[in-house]
Amino acid sequence: QTGVNDLVDVGWVRHDTDDHISLKTCLDVFQDFMSKKRCLFRSLAMNPLLIPEAYIIGAQPLCSQLVGLSPGQKKLCQLYQDHMQYIGEGAKTGIRECQYQFRHRRWNCSTVDNSSVFGRVMQIGSRETAFMYAISAAGVVNAVSRACREGELNSCGCSRAARPKDLPRDWLWGGCGDNLDYGCRFSKQFVDAREREKTPLKGSYESARKMMNLHNNEAGRRAVLELAHASCKCHGVSGSCSLKTCWLQLADFRKVGDLLKEKYDSAAAMKLNSRGRMVQMHSKFNAPTGDDLVYIDPSPDYCLKNQSTGSLGTVGRLCNKTSEGMDGCELMCCGRGYDQFKAEIVERCHCKFHWCCYVKCKRCSKTVDQFVCK
Amino acid sequence: ICVGVLPRTACILRIIALCILLSHAAAYFGLTGREPLVFLPGPFSNDAPTGKAHLKQCEQMTLTRRQKRLCRREPGLAETLRESVRLSLLECRYQFRNERWNCSLDGRGSLLKKAFKETAFLLAVSSAALTHALAKACSSGRMERCTCDDSPGIQHREAWQWGVCGDNLKYSTKFLKKFLGQKRVSKDLRAQMEAHNINVGTRAVKSGLKTTCKCHGVSGSCAVRTCWKQLSPFHDTGRLLKYRYDTAVKVLSVTNAATGETELAGPRRHSQSPRTTDLVYLEDSPSFCRPSRYSPGTGGRSCAKDTSCQSLCCGRGYNTAMHLTSLSCHCQVRWCCHVECQTCVREEERYTCKNA
Repeated sequence: QTGVNDLVDVGWVRHDTDDHISLKTCLDVFQDFMSKKRCLFRSLAMNPLLIPEAYIIGAQPLCSQLVGLSPGQKKLCQLYQDHMQYIGEGAKTGIRECQYQFRHRRWNCSTVDNSSVFGRVMQIGSRETAFMYAISAAGVVNAVSRACREGELNSCGCSRAARPKDLPRDWLWGGCGDNLDYGCRFSKQFVDAREREKTPLKGSYESARKMMNLHNNEAGRRAVLELAHASCKCHGVSGSCSLKTCWLQLADFRKVGDLLKEKYDSAAAMKLNSRGRMVQMHSKFNAPTGDDLVYIDPSPDYCLKNQSTGSLGTVGRLCNKTSEGMDGCELMCCGRGYDQFKAEIVERCHCKFHWCCYVKCKRCSKTVDQFVCK
Repeated sequence: ICVGVLPRTACILRIIALCILLSHAAAYFGLTGREPLVFLPGPFSNDAPTGKAHLKQCEQMTLTRRQKRLCRREPGLAETLRESVRLSLLECRYQFRNERWNCSLDGRGSLLKKAFKETAFLLAVSSAALTHALAKACSSGRMERCTCDDSPGIQHREAWQWGVCGDNLKYSTKFLKKFLGQKRVSKDLRAQMEAHNINVGTRAVKSGLKTTCKCHGVSGSCAVRTCWKQLSPFHDTGRLLKYRYDTAVKVLSVTNAATGETELAGPRRHSQSPRTTDLVYLEDSPSFCRPSRYSPGTGGRSCAKDTSCQSLCCGRGYNTAMHLTSLSCHCQVRWCCHVECQTCVREEERYTCKNA
């Protein structure tokens, strides 16, 4: 499915007019590169070029070499060199959390290869795609806010958030909190840049995808904002709580993942109406708020391997024989049955604490039954 | 049935065996019968049954010839049968309201052809409901051929004087055996499993039989007591059967070396036969997540967000809708002696599983 559309998305046409002429020849040369799936900024997570020192010298060429950025994102990259490392980290955190939340399900957020991270799965506007967009945006907010607080970035410092209204009066508000405001603004600018550049036709599938992606990115950022809380430290006389200082702190990313997983379960199906706006598919259900996730396509069948939808299938996945949920052998293997074999597991046992101050464990191996889908 | 390889006699024997099997299946009724059950019979009507009305009711139900004969002879039986069907259906739906298979009538026909855990439960609950309904009907005086419990140890005449009437379980179990035609248990594994499960149902009702006493001595003391046996409410029996369903045992047929007869035995590790109070089944159930011929699937089922949506919706997620419910509120007692309530309308969120 290589065509002009793919080229547009990577931004080739937006370069100077000289490049227009060479498009056709470029097409032949980069045939197999273009036949791959869309490149997204998430590939920064896999890019081995992400070492902080590389940004100090000769920074400019590196931005254009980074795979998976849209032209707007490339410009932002050149403006905010030092942020790129944290964006990569944020994307990596997002992917890791996605793999944790979906470890028991048929689609387990597995990455395909370095250039496209997830494969064609992201081209379908399903619930899983919605979750993925939301959690990557949340990961970027997380990483950039933390980096601001730690003083790694030049353009931001500690949080200047106002004192929350429900804080007891005699607690001090100050300290150095995570700069959520800056993190959100930067994530909005960077992650949404890709979507905002597109100018799809009104009423087309691409316009629906653009609206869906923007909505889900915002939902991810709001999830981080919602879970951020005031964290306090007691520093009165001999550590008593007569004096307490509080600051704004990001929640543990696992909690953000749990919240987004709940939103994934209650995601709303949307469609385009005749005027080109996104409306609910079944109007009798509750309308989605800004915190909810939306999707436009039903999920593909993740049971079987399918090149066109990008599903990897469940052959070879481990399943749990006693469970009744999605990780049970019936549902995970989609009725194909499972093979049973014994596996040796090596784990730590007989741990002892030595003075001072480390723990030494022995390694024990035991045989367990493992079940693998056919 | 007969692949060309088999000799002719074996082929004929197989056909006969199949006929016997089918005739066994037709012997059961209600939830486990072939009746389509499109209506939900109402509870007992309070007026006394008029003379020949029961004959028409007997004809309406799907029964075998022998069952129809028994039905015609006994006027109160038709009502009792309908009551037992209603009891078993309501109880089954109540116990499985949070499970993926919620005892819907849609896939019942194909489900009964296989020997799943759900089939075992259906057999047990329908026989338990029939026993229960018969015993209650006897003690309520709706049946002509049986009255109160007359087991030894209870002063029958005195009991009658005080208006106390125990539930007649003995007649009920005897009648059930006649009705379902369980004289001979064939060597077929399926028939053995069905007989075992029906037995589990009746035993569950029997185990709920309690002796209740009433004190009526001088100024209410317990110097003089009258006791009778009473069945526990059917919900308790239903709960017990659901527990048995959760701990059901998968069996296969094993030839007993001593007697030379086939009997049910558990999987390899437990070589002893399953207990008489355990439900048994032969095949593993499918997951009832997607619509199949066994069930309409879990799409559209209402669930509770924190507890059951995860397992019921099979990972598909749920839809939220606002629902207006009206309930009684601001209740006040008016002298004398009724309660007046207002109706409040409240909006609450309802969650239903997604279809795909």
